[in-house]
Amino acid sequence: MSIAKHPAGERRLYMGNEAIARGALEAGVSVAAGYPGTPSSEIIETLAKAAKDADIYVEWSTNEKVAMEVAAAASFAGLRSLCIMKQNGVNVASDFLLHLAGSGTRGGMVLVPCDDPGALSSVNEGESRHFAKMVEVPLLEPADFQEAKDLTKWAFTLSEELRSLVFVRSVTRLSHASGTVVPGEIPAPRRDAKFTYNGFILDPMEGPVMSAPVTFKHGQQQEKLKRAEEIFEDSPFNTYAGPDNPELLVIATSACWLYAREALRMLNAEGKAGLLKLATTWPLPRKLVKKHLAAAGKVLVLEEVLPFTEENVKVLAQEAADEIGHKPILGKRDGHVPMTGELNPDLAADAVAKALGAQVPEVDPDYKTKAGQYAFFGAPNRDLTFCPGCPHRASFWSIHNTLAADGREGFVCGDIGCYSMAVLPSGFSTLKTLHSMGSGTGLASGFGKLGPFGLNQPVMSVCGDSTFFHAALPALVNAVHHQSDITMAVLDNSGTGMTGFQSHPGLPTDALGNEVPAIDIEAVCRSLGAEVRVTDPFDLEKTQQTLHELLETKKGVKVLILRQACALSPQRKGKKDFDMEVDAALCRGEDCGCNRLCTRIFRCPGLVWDATAGRARIDEVICAGCGVCASICPAGAIIKKPVSAQAA
Amino acid sequence: MQILGPTQLYEDVIAKGLCTGCGACVGLCPYFVTHRAKTSMLFPCDREQGRCFAFCPRVELDLDEVSRFVHGAPYSGEPLGTHRQVLLAQAKGLSGSFQAGGTVSALLCHALQTGAAGAAVVTGQKDGLPDPRVATTAEEVLSASGSKYGAAPVLATVNKAIASGTRDLAVAATPCQAAALAQMGMNPLGREDFMAPASLVIGLFCTWAIDARSLAALAAEHLSGKAATRMDLPPPPSEILVLETGGRRVEVPLSEVRKLVPAGCLCCPDMTAEFADVSVGVVEGEPGWNTLIVRTQKGADLVESAIAAGKLETREPEAEAAAHLSRAAAGKRRRAFARAREQGLLNTAEGRASLRVDEQVAEKILTEES
Ligand SMILES: Cc1cc2nc3c(=O)[nH]c(=O)nc-3n(C[C@H](O)[C@H](O)[C@H](O)COP(=O)(O)OP(=O)(O)OC[C@H]3O[C@@H](n4cnc5c(N)ncnc54)[C@H](O)[C@@H]3O)c2cc1C
Ligand code: SF4
Ligand code: SF4
Ligand code: SF4
Ligand code: SF4
Ligand code: SF4
Repeated sequence: MSIAKHPAGERRLYMGNEAIARGALEAGVSVAAGYPGTPSSEIIETLAKAAKDADIYVEWSTNEKVAMEVAAAASFAGLRSLCIMKQNGVNVASDFLLHLAGSGTRGGMVLVPCDDPGALSSVNEGESRHFAKMVEVPLLEPADFQEAKDLTKWAFTLSEELRSLVFVRSVTRLSHASGTVVPGEIPAPRRDAKFTYNGFILDPMEGPVMSAPVTFKHGQQQEKLKRAEEIFEDSPFNTYAGPDNPELLVIATSACWLYAREALRMLNAEGKAGLLKLATTWPLPRKLVKKHLAAAGKVLVLEEVLPFTEENVKVLAQEAADEIGHKPILGKRDGHVPMTGELNPDLAADAVAKALGAQVPEVDPDYKTKAGQYAFFGAPNRDLTFCPGCPHRASFWSIHNTLAADGREGFVCGDIGCYSMAVLPSGFSTLKTLHSMGSGTGLASGFGKLGPFGLNQPVMSVCGDSTFFHAALPALVNAVHHQSDITMAVLDNSGTGMTGFQSHPGLPTDALGNEVPAIDIEAVCRSLGAEVRVTDPFDLEKTQQTLHELLETKKGVKVLILRQACALSPQRKGKKDFDMEVDAALCRGEDCGCNRLCTRIFRCPGLVWDATAGRARIDEVICAGCGVCASICPAGAIIKKPVSAQAA
Repeated sequence: MQILGPTQLYEDVIAKGLCTGCGACVGLCPYFVTHRAKTSMLFPCDREQGRCFAFCPRVELDLDEVSRFVHGAPYSGEPLGTHRQVLLAQAKGLSGSFQAGGTVSALLCHALQTGAAGAAVVTGQKDGLPDPRVATTAEEVLSASGSKYGAAPVLATVNKAIASGTRDLAVAATPCQAAALAQMGMNPLGREDFMAPASLVIGLFCTWAIDARSLAALAAEHLSGKAATRMDLPPPPSEILVLETGGRRVEVPLSEVRKLVPAGCLCCPDMTAEFADVSVGVVEGEPGWNTLIVRTQKGADLVESAIAAGKLETREPEAEAAAHLSRAAAGKRRRAFARAREQGLLNTAEGRASLRVDEQVAEKILTEES
């Protein structure tokens, strides 16, 4: 049953992202667009599954900027729309975002950026909240699952009242954890979309939609923020619990509110400390915050990641200093709370205890040792690595070995996807730069022009099929147009593997499961004028030979498409092509002539080193039967038997 | 003989730029590979001892031990190495585009025909780069005649052939390769398949080689993108490298060429392939002839049988020519020893040496008059 069918009033267990999706449905959203990125992806996935039942349109857009444009169009046509992305996606969308903030919206439009404090699934700890402040639109931060739903729903009302985009910011621990939520009603689908543009140029609802005339629109925008502040003063989503004149006022936002609550309980400090949960974090409801500051002795702000609210509160406290007197405001800037990473109840308790001059109750030392032991011995120690049968391992094996054999100190500029892991030994440390989506090819395009300055190393980039469309394409165009000497490897695993097989423009099915035209990467590259080759990365010899040829003989832009489906993709998951076996009589083990190549260097989790026997063996349960390791073994000891031939 | 592992090999030879790409460390395992005549290490191997290190002629080459193995006596220090005879020779009844007298080709063909060798490893050319390959017929041997002055991974081909079960190889090898082949034959790590890697080593004289990739680029630059089909280093005083292709001939000054000589050649003490069964070089002033140094019993047998079969013609060299050759060989060796000593690579007391030999012999070599 899709989330759209859950009856109102029945308590349910929702993941934060599901709660956000349900909130949007209850707000009567018509269009949702996004780009996959942990921890945000399940919002679009949930809505895509509910799309038929709810009669809405949902898409995985080519990138975040396009997603925001697609959603904005719906708003301009009077519909309600939702846009989702991970934190750094907002950077990609930010140019349009700035102008959208200026032009204003019509139908309610909400942007949900999901931040990843601690960078659990990111290569950055970026903050999206500053964007709300920077482009001057309101920002809301839900603190629990029910609120994730309710605040999302309300955000649409707010957006329509202000005619402005509204941010609802989530974080990993809210998006990916689950809690109870009571769903509400879902309104009937809309059929009245219309884009009106013939009105007076300054008319926000009837005229053309744009951010000009700038000073006029900018002024309007700031009026909207003032109005938002007024509305926030009475918002039921901002709550306070604690004494009237607390020794310590803890201001907490987002999931930190839960940590703070637990910390106060842990320290038995509820009599001394009050807890103000702020859900409307930009602009701050000044009167409300001022009132609480005035009543408190000192203040501690708990939030993730940067001191966003802390700084805003400090500005406010300074402005109101005459009224409220001097209030010490503790937080990240004075080191009370860490400036990076996630918070948790323990860190919150530490901060509160320090602020109150209290002691954090000692954990039973016996418990501590035991917990430590269990963690060490009980939990398997896992490297960050590619899955068994992953085409990326094979691709990087070939790329690494070809560049090493080439011997000209060639290097690969990395990009964002599962394959980013190739900065690590599991990908043979092949990637030498790693930044944002599409940046690998952009950097390569630049490196490829440094020949005249003496750079004579072969330059490569990699990108996945989804990343190719997202932002690598303009970089590729740039490289071709400027005759940069690069070789780009497109790791085409038929899906956005890292985030869970969302559709992308290269696939014949969209987010809703409709048949759609797939954009052929090979044809695109050829038509741009690149020299294109396609190989199966599981064919190591052909791949390496092809790559050598490209690196050696051709100038300009060369593209090698390495095409093989992800090991977890629906077409490959659970299906072995080969039954694998190590012939112990042939295996050289640690002897000179091999020295455990398969388990020491190649390191597919399907291969294990049997130290007692001094031989490698296959872990049949883990091995995905891709057959690749048979081609790396120098002794021919890894034997592959086609599964079908055996059955016959 | 001090045998260490690939980490030390990489540090001492490859990282220091002393590798001459001979290929002795290649094809034994997945870690060392050769591509376009350059040796690279793909991944670290953490073994403390390995054949890669044991075979490399540029690190811990113990001249006494190798000499004992090949000649049954420690390193003599004679300028032309342990030998039985110095002759002038030329091929008979064989036509090909030989470098000089075609002695190497004639001996290889004869060894194949008589069964003295099952296959030969010769070095042809492909894409402007030296291309070592296995030859089993006279035609295949002849198709690889002529010198390619680029340092070639001949021993990678030998290792590959051995791994695929080929035995009784005859190898045309430069002095460094002949030394490596001797170390392989000593089989310090007791590997069955390396017991007798080569049954016959035909050494080529060598003063220095040129980095193969650089030479290919140099030829392409001088021959409008084409590869040289023939190259020659005419004897002094003509300071040139001759490159020819399709009737075109260019002379490149040696000053331009010497820059492309791998540093490893500069501490290589051997000009006349002292650890080969026979060694062959050119003769100044006698274009159709070779100098032929007969060293081992096997070498003597081969030469004798080739003469008897009418495949080889020989005569005594003039005394002055032989003396001249000795001086040249002694000069190269002295320069290499001096350089090695200067860099702490000769008989290094603590740590790894490039060369080891009885210290008295070393002193003698270092103080020889030129
Ligand atoms: C790098 C190099 C430097 C040399 N320097 C000198 C020198 O300083 N003084 C001197 O007298 N002679 C030198 N020679 C040897 C000389 O050039 C002739 O190879 C030798 O005289 C044999 O002549 P040939 O007519 O019998 O050769 P051919 O019958 O034409 O046979 C030549 C043989 O050399 C082999 N060969 C060609 N290139 C290479 C290579 N790069 N590595 C290994 N084997 C190869 C071929 O397989 C072929 O079998 C050098 C050779 C090389 C390869
Ligand atoms: S690569 Fe082959 S020989 Fe080496 S340990 Fe693995 S199975 Fe054995
Ligand atoms: S066949 Fe080999 S490489 Fe493929 S999954 Fe199994 S163990 Fe891993
Ligand atoms: S020790 Fe043996 S396995 Fe290791 S690199 Fe050397 S030859 Fe290869
Ligand atoms: S000189 Fe030969 S054995 Fe030594 S590292 Fe180079 S290729 Fe390997
Ligand atoms: S000079 Fe020595 S090291 Fe260099 S190629 Fe000749 S024999 Fe080998």
